[in-house]
Amino acid sequence: MTAKTSLGIGPEEMASRSALGIDTEELASCVSCGLCLPHCPTFRVTGEEWASPRGRISAMRQVQDHGMAVDESFLASMDSCVQCRGCEPACPSGVPFGSMMEATQAELARRRRVDWRRWGFRVLGHRWLLNQLSRSLAVVQRLRLVPSKRLGLPKIPLVQERLRATGNDVWLFTGCVMDAWQRSTHASAKRVVEAAGAGVALPGPGAACCGALSLHAGLEDHAHALAARTMKALEGSVPILVDSAGCGAVLKEYGKHLGTPEAVAFSERVMDVHEWLAAQADQLPSVGERGQDVTVAIHDPCHLRHVQRAHQSVADVLSRYATVVTLDDEGLCCGAGGAYAAMQPELAASIRDRKLEAINRSGADIVASANPGCTIHLANAGVDVRHPLEIVDEAIDYDG
Amino acid sequence: MKFRKADPLMRDLRRVLPSDRVRVAPLERSIMGRDASIFEGGRAGPVCFPISTEEVQGCVDAARRHGRAVVPRGAGTGLAGGAVPLEEPVVVVATKMNRLLSVDADQRVAWVQPGMINLDLSRALAPYGLHFAPDPSSQQVCSLGGNVGTNAGGPHCLALGVTSAHVLAAEVVLMSGESVVLGDADGWTPGLDLRGAYVGSEGMLGITTAIAVRLTRNPPAVETLLLAFDSVDAAAQTVSAVIADGIVPAAIEMMDKNIIWAVENFVGAGFPTDAAAVVIVEVDGLPGGVAAEADRVAELAVEREGSVRRATDDEERALIWKGRKSAFGAIAQIKPNYYLHDTVVPRTRLAEVMNQVYEIVDEHDLQVMNVFHAGDGNLHPLLLYDAREPGIMERVHAAGSAIIEASLAVGGVLSGEHGIGIEKRDFMPLMFGEADLDAQARLRRAFDPEEMANPGKVLPTGASCAEVNALGKVPEGVWG
Ligand code: SF4
Ligand code: SF4
Repeated sequence: MTAKTSLGIGPEEMASRSALGIDTEELASCVSCGLCLPHCPTFRVTGEEWASPRGRISAMRQVQDHGMAVDESFLASMDSCVQCRGCEPACPSGVPFGSMMEATQAELARRRRVDWRRWGFRVLGHRWLLNQLSRSLAVVQRLRLVPSKRLGLPKIPLVQERLRATGNDVWLFTGCVMDAWQRSTHASAKRVVEAAGAGVALPGPGAACCGALSLHAGLEDHAHALAARTMKALEGSVPILVDSAGCGAVLKEYGKHLGTPEAVAFSERVMDVHEWLAAQADQLPSVGERGQDVTVAIHDPCHLRHVQRAHQSVADVLSRYATVVTLDDEGLCCGAGGAYAAMQPELAASIRDRKLEAINRSGADIVASANPGCTIHLANAGVDVRHPLEIVDEAIDYDG
Repeated sequence: MKFRKADPLMRDLRRVLPSDRVRVAPLERSIMGRDASIFEGGRAGPVCFPISTEEVQGCVDAARRHGRAVVPRGAGTGLAGGAVPLEEPVVVVATKMNRLLSVDADQRVAWVQPGMINLDLSRALAPYGLHFAPDPSSQQVCSLGGNVGTNAGGPHCLALGVTSAHVLAAEVVLMSGESVVLGDADGWTPGLDLRGAYVGSEGMLGITTAIAVRLTRNPPAVETLLLAFDSVDAAAQTVSAVIADGIVPAAIEMMDKNIIWAVENFVGAGFPTDAAAVVIVEVDGLPGGVAAEADRVAELAVEREGSVRRATDDEERALIWKGRKSAFGAIAQIKPNYYLHDTVVPRTRLAEVMNQVYEIVDEHDLQVMNVFHAGDGNLHPLLLYDAREPGIMERVHAAGSAIIEASLAVGGVLSGEHGIGIEKRDFMPLMFGEADLDAQARLRRAFDPEEMANPGKVLPTGASCAEVNALGKVPEGVWG
């Protein structure tokens, strides 16, 4: 199996600088024990060291410490990483892999001459433009003019429900692609939060995108600009609830990335919506007739499990409304990884195959995933997958 | 050396394997130069990923035709440098040969491919109520082929024996390219026990392509106790007292102060960070017997002023073991490098040798952590250091030699389970006389006359084997 490397590499430019700008202490912190290997999806499907956390760290050391040139095989090693960070909780030495990979990607982005992502991801920060483009895409999809599955796209709705604010107890972060493509999930989340007794405020267009995709592609400046806008749009002191695990993970790390006291304070207010709901367990409404008769397998999104380490809250909330089973693969990634499924289709599909086997073994009727990327990626393989709060929303007896 | 498409070795390898399974990029060859030991200077030649016995034979044939050595590799978690490639050999990686070939639950035998992960095998066997007994600390990642190569042990080998006791047969590709089966999956073969010679041969007799493993029934009842002591002596005495009492626990593991802290910081299992040493004791078997034995172990600990905690469920048990098994990996919380020894000493001399270890380490101004299989006296002192500190390696090696000498002086042995590899190779003459070493070399040449299988490992080279100089004799560039 081979990994795709990004377009537009200038070999001379790539080779011209050796340092990757990774913190030297971080880079020295791996003892090469290999305990992370089985928790890495790309190692699991290839069995090859360059596609493992230890191999990637070793490759970073070759370039940064030993002056090896950045070449195609280095790019393959870095670009094939899903950035799922499954290696982090598995590492007894607490090696901060995510931060080393972000530094590497930022340096590679500086050296890449052309990268469609630099332009493509800009759209995400402009809600109006994104909505217009999405609507056009929805039409084109209906006319079957785009190979949606191959591009890793979901079926985009033609008409979107309009969300209305109901109070000021909590913010509900709505984000970019999810708001444009899966707004009905926000609607469910909002209803459930309201049913637990909170009035929900909705951010203006300033909070149009958290910057996760840009950050993972190494487009640091763009990511930081989006972060500054988002923080401004979500002022105050009330909790910021997030129903997309990937966005939540990045919002929680603004403090680390920007390093300012405001960013630290902002990040402390961010909660995954399930974390917040689990803490209000006694306020949660009762189950309606339709609850409990479905068996749901919970797919833990990597950024909820490995980064936020808050995946237990999904089971805590969902198990009140449905029979919940856990998958037996220790939270191994599904291969979605933001834009990964589109960038590395071959690896993403092999990784997903392992997940499909685990889902089959679980015997569940449906799968719950608290991250839009995973939902789209798994749905494209024919899995009936929904956001946990859509299942809860359906099961709640709102009149009871 | 650069490999070009036209390189005759490459041409031959690509006749046997599709080109995406023969990798030669400089980066890949350099990252394959390491395993989990401290050596950083190894360098691979072409890295091959065969998926069948025939493909392994093809790789060996091609290497032989071009006079190139062959080094087998599994998950690369070896702690003695056994899989470190020296002088750009053909590296044959088993990770893509990772299937469970067959299970005979009645006979309790399974055939597995060498790249299968140890823990994956036990997971796959769970529906049969069976497991593979050897459970190295790295069992979640290490491969069965590597377990065979090093004759790996693990906490639960105390009662059940190490890998050799659980391998019935191995299919092996010899350096002639021939594939042979050593041992017999159905029982014992008459004649010389070549299987016995093969297990633990660290890749020097051939390349494993399939293994018949003996399976162990899961015990009906298990009790895990976490004992904490204010002194290493009290902990060591308790270990001896348990064995003297006639109890043979499934496992007895010990950790000292520094490592308890690092491990607790990672798993949060409630290890007492103020204790001087903790001992994990596991007893298993039929419920009545297990309860009685656990009570007795607790009594013996309390008599020596230890505190006792019993795991109340499987989750708590798993967490305690996770702590123990991630100990080596947790080191970088303190220092970025470790040098690990693996000597075995008589159980009754445990406390004495540990105190010597502390003294040696103080003398060399280093830090040490101890985490080990106390039940069979298998020490694992980890010397912690930062390789970037000038002159540190000399101190680390001097302290290492002193620890080995102290262990051998009380009648111990060089390695309990990690193997000799490169790391302990030059200590072999401390343990074996010239005649012993010569006999081992002759056995090796009976399998591999040209010495092309994993050369440079285990046996010190002839001329220099009388003198020991750990720094001087390791091939240039190997010490990290
Ligand atoms: S982030 Fe995920 S894909 Fe990348 S090295 Fe870690 S475990 Fe592997
Ligand atoms: S990242 Fe952590 S777990 Fe992985 S090899 Fe390095 S120290 Fe070990």
